[in-house]
Amino acid sequence: MPEVPRLSVRDIRKSFGAHEVLRGISLEARDGDVISLLGASGSGKSTFLRCINLLEVADSGEVWVDGEQIRMVQKGGKNRPASQKQVDHIRAELGMVFQSFNLWSHMTILQNVIEGPVHVLKRPRAECVEEAHALLKKVGIGDKANAYPAHLSGGQQQRAAIARALAMKPKLMLFDEPTSALDPELVGEVLRVMRALAEEGTTMLVVTHEMGFARNVSNRVAFMREGLVDSMGSPQEMFGAGASPAFRQFIGHFQA
Amino acid sequence: MTLAVTAVALLIGAVLGAVVAAAKLSGNRMLVFLGSVYTTIFRGVPELLIIYLIYFGGSSAVTAIGQAMGYEGFLGLPSFAAGALAVGIISGSYQAEVFRGAYLAVARGELEAASAIGMSRGLRLRRIVMPQVLRYALPGFGNVWQLSLKDSALISVTGLAELMRTSQVAAGSTRQYFLFFIVGGALYLILTSLSDQVFNRAERRANRSMPSAMGQV
Amino acid sequence: MDIEFLSSTMVTLLKALPVTLALFALSVSIGCVLALVIVWMRVGGNRYLAGFAKGYIFVFRGSPLLIQMFLVFYGLAQFDFIRNGPLWPLLREPFVCAVLSLALCTAGYSAEIFRGGIRSVPPREIEAARAIGMSGFLLVRRIIAPIALRFALPAYSTEVVLMMKSTSLASLVTVWEVTGVAQRLISHTYRTMEVFLCAAVIYLVLNFIVLQAMALLEHFLSRHLRAAPPAAKA
Repeated sequence: MPEVPRLSVRDIRKSFGAHEVLRGISLEARDGDVISLLGASGSGKSTFLRCINLLEVADSGEVWVDGEQIRMVQKGGKNRPASQKQVDHIRAELGMVFQSFNLWSHMTILQNVIEGPVHVLKRPRAECVEEAHALLKKVGIGDKANAYPAHLSGGQQQRAAIARALAMKPKLMLFDEPTSALDPELVGEVLRVMRALAEEGTTMLVVTHEMGFARNVSNRVAFMREGLVDSMGSPQEMFGAGASPAFRQFIGHFQA
Repeated sequence: MTLAVTAVALLIGAVLGAVVAAAKLSGNRMLVFLGSVYTTIFRGVPELLIIYLIYFGGSSAVTAIGQAMGYEGFLGLPSFAAGALAVGIISGSYQAEVFRGAYLAVARGELEAASAIGMSRGLRLRRIVMPQVLRYALPGFGNVWQLSLKDSALISVTGLAELMRTSQVAAGSTRQYFLFFIVGGALYLILTSLSDQVFNRAERRANRSMPSAMGQV
Repeated sequence: MDIEFLSSTMVTLLKALPVTLALFALSVSIGCVLALVIVWMRVGGNRYLAGFAKGYIFVFRGSPLLIQMFLVFYGLAQFDFIRNGPLWPLLREPFVCAVLSLALCTAGYSAEIFRGGIRSVPPREIEAARAIGMSGFLLVRRIIAPIALRFALPAYSTEVVLMMKSTSLASLVTVWEVTGVAQRLISHTYRTMEVFLCAAVIYLVLNFIVLQAMALLEHFLSRHLRAAPPAAKA
């Protein structure tokens, strides 16, 4: 029996007013895939990612998570999710890491990490706390559990955010430019954590500008241009001879 | 009449406010203390009490002066004066805080830049400090105006024939309380919302050099 | 300084203190609950409720408290259906009218303050909560309300102090609280300055207590903003 892909996105379209940002994007992620999504600013990468967990609602198209389709209806001329409950349930299965970390500033790191498991998944608190400590240790900030986000460096905050997403035991992790807001010397510690996750077999979809990560850690690279997937393939193909001219021009900017 | 009282009160308040703000900003301990006492008392004590103080106390004072000059009998402090003075003193304390906050908000860097190019203190005050103080003070000032407008209603207790009193008298004589108070209330609402619009426009004009928070994704 | 007069004045005024405190406590608590209802209407999606809330806030912030109080006290009594209704025994009482009017007024101001707090919640933090699967009441309870409260607290403490001062207006609808008693004393004894002094002291002390309580609450809720405690050596 063919394996059900973790994520299947079909023909997503999205316009902001007259500006068509996504013009029909399709993507599939199998279990264990680490897909890097590259592209220039304005190519629609972040919008696409946010359409997957419905932080943006696409105008048309389908999103299937683990074989379950997010049901949509047309209400008042606009595409809307049919059931908030289903949206919440799907979101709980997708982990998201944001560019600006988005930690809850009035809670400690530990409280940030257990918030989802305790209040959304309704799991017993003691269990969640124990797991949270283990996760924080895993991302390298085990001693910061009782600190507040404002006390942590950017890199530490992002790692805490990763731990928070992992605490939900998601089927798929979405990363929206996780290192773009970090000082250069802090980027490495976050990439290390992401690499470790990839090597453990976590299914990841990463919007990034970090070419090193795209080349060395991901097993597939997708290049987006003007709302469409221009080309997609393994890192060897994409960064090697098989690269499309547009992609070659794009990465030309990154060779210093 | 309501507008007249409020306007006069605000002027009195502006003068008092500026003086007190200057006192609180000066480093002189005595002045700071006196300024603080003023703002604490006149923001912390109910307006009604202050109006009683000015009206009754003022009347006593005027009577005493009259007696000293040979006039027997009770001399009342004219209600317009008492009302305007009372609301003026109250708004003065709020205005002092507004001025103080606005002054402190003017970035030090801008002051230093002005000094660095050789502006004299007076010129600096006029060209750099004042316009910025005005800009920062405007929202607070709008608040003070609204406050004073509503405080002026309280002056009705002194019998001044302003809006509140007129409503009261009309209501009492016709026993149509609801109607007249609703009308009175509506008139106040019109006054406040007009003032709101005027201040909003003034604020927008004063802030035209600042980036707008609207329209950012 | 006539100490005897001052102290007897003080005693007389303090006898009215419970009334002032009752007015204050009841109107602040009822007003706060009402404000939460109003702000929920205002930020909810329903157009009609939001419009009603907007109108409510506009009216109660734009008109003087005194008119509102007179409307409740004198105006309501005009209507037959109120006089014959079940609530009349309550609504006849000046005290009830005063509390009702104070609560309605503070609800208007407080709703606007709470709304400002809600708007100050960083959208990113709300997004992070939604991305985890929170929505609806859970989202409000765990994320929006706590953050909004912290932003709204300074402005709300100002409002609470203003409420304390506003209780003085109840004297104009025949409620015998501190200011009302003070006015009566002044008109009997003509010793304005001394009576004013005593009454002013009472209000200043009350305000001080309220401000301290609020400051304590603010301090308790802002641990996340303060500097990190010195790190324990690993």
